[in-house]
Amino acid sequence: MNVDALDLQQRVIALIAGSTTETFERLALDLFAFQFEHCAAYRAYCEHQQRTPGTVEDWTQIPATPTGAFKDFALTCFPVEQAVAEFHTSGTTRGQPGKHYFATTELYDAAARVSFREHLLPDGARLPMLALTPSPRDAPHSSLSHMMGVVAGDEAEFFVERDTLLVDRLTQRLCELQWASQPVTLLGTAFAFVNFFDHVAQKNLRFEMPEGSRAMETGGFKGRSREMPKRELYALFEKHLGIPAFRVVNEYGMTELSTQFYDESLLVGRASDIKRVPAWARVQVIDPNTGREAAIGEAGLIRVFDLANVWSMMCVQTEDLGVRHETGFEVRGRAAGAEVRGCSLNAESLSLS
Amino acid sequence: MSATFEQIQDAITRTREARERVLQHRTVDAIIGALVQTAKNWLAPDSPWRTRAVELAPEVTGFSPQMVNEAIDLMFSTLTYEALGELLDRELGNRRVLDEFCLRGRSYTRAFGPRLIVHFLAGNVPAPSIVSIACGLLLKSANLVKMSSHDPVFPALFIESLREVDSELADCVALLDWSRDELALTQAALAEAQAVIAYGDDSTISALRQLAPGDAKFLGYGHKVSFAVVAKEAMNEENLPALAEAAAFDASVYDQQGCLSPHVFYVEERGQLGPRKFAEALASAMAAYQERVARGALTLDEAAEVGRLRLGYEFRAQTDRRVAVWASPAPSGASAPPNSWVVIYEDDPSFVPSCLNRVVYVKPTDGFKRVLDAVQRVAAKVSTVGIALMNERAMAFATELAKMGIHRICPVGQMQRPPLSWHHDGRTNLADLVHWVDAG
Repeated sequence: MNVDALDLQQRVIALIAGSTTETFERLALDLFAFQFEHCAAYRAYCEHQQRTPGTVEDWTQIPATPTGAFKDFALTCFPVEQAVAEFHTSGTTRGQPGKHYFATTELYDAAARVSFREHLLPDGARLPMLALTPSPRDAPHSSLSHMMGVVAGDEAEFFVERDTLLVDRLTQRLCELQWASQPVTLLGTAFAFVNFFDHVAQKNLRFEMPEGSRAMETGGFKGRSREMPKRELYALFEKHLGIPAFRVVNEYGMTELSTQFYDESLLVGRASDIKRVPAWARVQVIDPNTGREAAIGEAGLIRVFDLANVWSMMCVQTEDLGVRHETGFEVRGRAAGAEVRGCSLNAESLSLS
Repeated sequence: MSATFEQIQDAITRTREARERVLQHRTVDAIIGALVQTAKNWLAPDSPWRTRAVELAPEVTGFSPQMVNEAIDLMFSTLTYEALGELLDRELGNRRVLDEFCLRGRSYTRAFGPRLIVHFLAGNVPAPSIVSIACGLLLKSANLVKMSSHDPVFPALFIESLREVDSELADCVALLDWSRDELALTQAALAEAQAVIAYGDDSTISALRQLAPGDAKFLGYGHKVSFAVVAKEAMNEENLPALAEAAAFDASVYDQQGCLSPHVFYVEERGQLGPRKFAEALASAMAAYQERVARGALTLDEAAEVGRLRLGYEFRAQTDRRVAVWASPAPSGASAPPNSWVVIYEDDPSFVPSCLNRVVYVKPTDGFKRVLDAVQRVAAKVSTVGIALMNERAMAFATELAKMGIHRICPVGQMQRPPLSWHHDGRTNLADLVHWVDAG
């Protein structure tokens, strides 16, 4: 790998670690020039947009790669056969999965650790980490499992095996911890928690997890449990586990990125839907009707600039809707597409197999 | 405002009384006369109805004022004396069978429309709503109309304009709206229906079919898509602009919300001009149409979907030669907002439904046979196939399409202009609703 690239990587790692000698603005332009040079598909797109390192003056002008392109191309700035890891999207809705290749997971891991610690462990607590996901070993292509492995570290215990949530084992473990007055961090997808709560309700169980317990929940039901609004789900944490709703934090991450974003709830001490953006990233909310950044309080499509994506695509256009806030952004979920009206049809309702 | 149970009951009673009082004594010619005069009033220069529709409809329907204007022209220009007469004569043999016993062969026969028709309208395009109500009046029926919350404007203004011409006739129609979730209200509306005409998604149609009285006639118009085929002999330098204009009209009208709107243009290869050339010409024609008739405002979700599709294809197109994208703003720097139209060229024959709102695919094809293969699995859901050029070879192709269950084949440019007497989804509009009485 070339020296410039390794230098870039070190500079991003320094920024993630809190260095104040690096600025996002300068690094973003350097990284854009690097990615423009090393990823042919991206370069062609930038040239088509007439946005090149010669013409782009600040980070907001850097062309965004649509998440869908990760399905059509190996979007890397290194020879893809040298990848040490690849994460796949679940790809449930549109054919083949998107793939994110990694030259190293060093950047990903550093970014994941810092953000998690800041938003889930602002009190510096060291807690048992119970993950309602498969372990990274069992799911090597899942970015979520990898992330859980990284942020939970040695304390990690995983409660999904062969696609099955080990409800009895989890119940047992929670009993032990409650008995030992040991606060805990629970991590999992929304649908795994819903399934667990359904089980708990059915068995007439109720936990009262010790004070200081908290949970990280990441969105998306994908038809794998009944769906429910966020507030309703968080009320169930209180009801079944005794974890107050404001101590449940939503995580927003995606396979195509290296950085995750979290509700600020534990930082501000109350339930909040606003996600803050770390120093090495920027998030814009783009109004799809104008192509311009939405005003504060307005909704649009979330666009992420993630410097930790050194070896892939730094600027990613997601398909998720969000609201722009003064201090961050709020996620509304996947754009629903054109509403079916009357006698016409769209892709969903034609249900092409 | 949701209608109440009492309002529905009252509307049924009122329209049925009006029918007894009025329609039983009105000749079908007089009814045609009133409908035609109403249509003329809409089409007249400085028509107050047009002014009001243009003022009120954009807000609820999402169409631009220019699109509302276009819709008025498309709808009311079909309601002529000749067209209405032809519709009746074609379907019933002779329009006068609705007035009196007429000699048919060796016996006399007379046709009676349902005493009460309940219409369930869709809000995506206004034309079927107006036609549905007009048919109910021609059959001398009382009409209870459940409007769509997406378009309460056109039906209301139509009845108001009819009232100005013939208030007694207008009394035979009651317009109401209530939520789909109010099952009891829907049941109340259906309880005494002799016929039901329903437009909407398949689940709505089948639910209504279940709820309708067993002996009521039921015409359900479910979800459909359309596409078009451009034959290799159809395109040359000379006629390309006109062909593209016709295609852009079909794809842009009603912002592609209707079942007659093409999603895909299959273009035969090895003609004088290739499919890419067609796509390019279609793009300029879409831009020109947008300048004249702007696409309506989109919801955030709709705009996001159009943007997603365009961005995805545009990214691919830079390195993948099988794909190309044209979209507003056009390279010429038109003033249209981003993505007010998108043309996607994709060398992949599979039929892909568009996300609507003027997003259209152009796909090269090896010939008509390949098109049949490509649309096989969606054939049951296809309303209309536009063809350029309608020649002998195209008619043979039409026969194949008919065998697949497709009901309408027409020239490109005419997809959005079905004649009043067309067989919507392969069916008659009036004949299915009448019952016959023979004498002698």
